[in-house]
Amino acid sequence: MADSPKIRLDFRKSLGSFTLEVDCTLETKVSAFLGVSGSGKSTLLNCVSGTLAPDEGEIVFGDEILYASTAKINLPPEKRRFGYVFQEGYLFPHLTVAQNIRYGQPDRRKSSDAIDVLEISELLQRYPKELSGGQRQRVAIARALAMEPRMLLMDEPLAALDSGLKDRIIPYLHHIKEAFEIPILYVTHTFSEVMALADEAFLIADGKIMARGEPHGLLTAPSAMPIAQLTGVENVLFLPVTVSDKPRSLTSLEMGDQPLMIPYIDVEVGEVVPVAIRAQDIIISLEPNVSLSARNVLPGKIQCLDVKNERTWLSILVGRHHLAVKITHEARRQLQLREGLKVYCIIKASAINLLRD
Amino acid sequence: MRITPAEVATLSLSIKVALLSLVIMFPPGLWIGWLLAKRTFPGKAFLNTLVMCPLVLPPIVSGYLLLILLGKHGVIGGFIYRVFGIEIVFSQFAVIIAVSIISFPLLVRGILTGMESVPPELESAARTLGASPFKVFWTITFPLAYRGIVSGTILGFSKSLGEFGATIMVAGNIPGKTQTMALAIFSAVHLGEDASVYRLVFISTIVAFIALWLTDRFTLR
Repeated sequence: MADSPKIRLDFRKSLGSFTLEVDCTLETKVSAFLGVSGSGKSTLLNCVSGTLAPDEGEIVFGDEILYASTAKINLPPEKRRFGYVFQEGYLFPHLTVAQNIRYGQPDRRKSSDAIDVLEISELLQRYPKELSGGQRQRVAIARALAMEPRMLLMDEPLAALDSGLKDRIIPYLHHIKEAFEIPILYVTHTFSEVMALADEAFLIADGKIMARGEPHGLLTAPSAMPIAQLTGVENVLFLPVTVSDKPRSLTSLEMGDQPLMIPYIDVEVGEVVPVAIRAQDIIISLEPNVSLSARNVLPGKIQCLDVKNERTWLSILVGRHHLAVKITHEARRQLQLREGLKVYCIIKASAINLLRD
Repeated sequence: MRITPAEVATLSLSIKVALLSLVIMFPPGLWIGWLLAKRTFPGKAFLNTLVMCPLVLPPIVSGYLLLILLGKHGVIGGFIYRVFGIEIVFSQFAVIIAVSIISFPLLVRGILTGMESVPPELESAARTLGASPFKVFWTITFPLAYRGIVSGTILGFSKSLGEFGATIMVAGNIPGKTQTMALAIFSAVHLGEDASVYRLVFISTIVAFIALWLTDRFTLR
């Protein structure tokens, strides 16, 4: 997308004691903002869409000024032509699916491509309350696309869906990314969605952008611990497959010099796969030979120990990988954990989640 | 049961006044209901109090205040008398004004409740889809507030039909001119015309019953 417009976001918005302050330029096709709830992601999208006016600064799309406090410009949402997909869908309950999709469509006679891309032609005569969660979200995305937007804003479009449904919708989003030549601003609190969709990721916390970069690089950096803390999410690792054993329904990955067992997946030996491990799913032990059902016992060294309000965060070096681990203060005291101490990380095979595109 | 021509005139006057009042008050009612439900502005609480006042004031008090305002020496009445040479009080205009003021809070309440029930997020979503605030109002807010609007309309209409206190203060009780159903019943009771009272009470009850049934038909699922 060489000719795609750059989006300049440089503004401030206070809501009560919370302040959102951003200063960045979106240059890639899919820019994702990753942050926990309350980090300011939705406020950001509302300011970009025009449904909320910033306090000061400017928002520029290509060379068109959408908002500028100094020039007192604030283009209303209906003039911005940004398709907005809400977490809750917000379909109009008194209109059928077809009427919802036509609502913002410039030429109402022709059928929208979005209906085919999102496979909802069977649902057109239904009302929103007759749809399942996944169907509703697909219709909401189709409605935003049918208006032929200049840009697509997506606010946690998958958050209201269970994980099985999420996996089914992500391919649709991929399809949209390919089929529609418009930039997408995607907001989420989930690592895997960023990995699967984004070209560039922004980490947002307390209303500020903490880091930005290419998603894989950003989210798997050795200094991943602050990111894990910011996003409340897991460790993301890229590991090569060493054994793929279907009869025993086991796959083994290599982490440092240690094998890491995960439930069987259909991959070739040698392939590198992304996996996520939640920080609270890792058990710390001082002994290697404890009798537990968990399959993985990895030796490591505590590199960094950080006592936060409710939990103790550890960064443990395993081979050349860093693992963020979350434990209770009680556990830290009992095991007398300190920086430099050798420990064993115990991980159940089922706690290792494959991140697939 | 034989209804006299005088009673028919009373009934038709009541219905005419209530309908006219509704036609006149519906647009401002819609606008004020929308303002109160969807907007924040300085003086919002004052506007709300002003509109709702007739609901809590004794109608006779509202009527007396109207009489002062609309009388030949009142601020509004005096102006109209000087410019147009028309006297408002004790005319059918006065009936319509009295009935409108008293029923307006019920109309606005219904509209307001209806519009408050429409999630603002739906309206924002419509804006992002390219709809102007005007289009959002007619395609999203109005249809979704429909139940509240219908119930406010019918309650206001019924209130207009039965209004007594304010009407008698500003419009008097002139048979064939300003005498509505409620006033006619009052007179008939006073004059001891029992047969007439029964007929008028029966008709009033039927009309009220139909109005309530219509409300439920349109608003209950």
